[in-house]
Amino acid sequence: MTLLLALVAAVSPPRALAQVEITWSPSMVKGPSGAPVTIVEFSDYQ
Amino acid sequence: MLQEYDGRVRLVFKDRPLAMHTLARPAHEAARCAGASGKYWPYHDRLFAAQPAFRRADLLVYAAELGLDRDTFARCLDERRFAADVERDIEQAQALGINSTPTFLINGQRVIGATSIEEFRSIIDKALQERP
Repeated sequence: MTLLLALVAAVSPPRALAQVEITWSPSMVKGPSGAPVTIVEFSDYQ
Repeated sequence: MLQEYDGRVRLVFKDRPLAMHTLARPAHEAARCAGASGKYWPYHDRLFAAQPAFRRADLLVYAAELGLDRDTFARCLDERRFAADVERDIEQAQALGINSTPTFLINGQRVIGATSIEEFRSIIDKALQERP
């Protein structure tokens, strides 16, 4: 249940690449695990 | 949207309650309590329909509406059983510099703010071309 995201740091140019491990609970996923596209939504209920 | 892409797109929800939204954190924890009983998404939808009535009593009413056991749910909420999980989501968001909501990562590509369906389709279609 993890996804490694390679992100080009647009804000701070000297750090060209930052890697952050994203984890999630199986109950908070919709759609098949083998899907070629994953949308991770960061949101706030309030 | 997920139906439209039938099996080719999955959606992961990450908790990113903003610090100024003082009622949000219990709501995020409550949704995870509902998830522990298999009702994450119905509870999620109920919360988005309800903004911003997130007092404890409101959270319990939504659980009851979905047929969740009152005592089990209340205990989960009061014990703050998922506080650390919500906190972990917040830390991951902060590590990514995600400070406004909603923010989406579509195969890693960042989309900030509620955007049009057309823009979403275009980014998803491009991602599918790269990884068919």
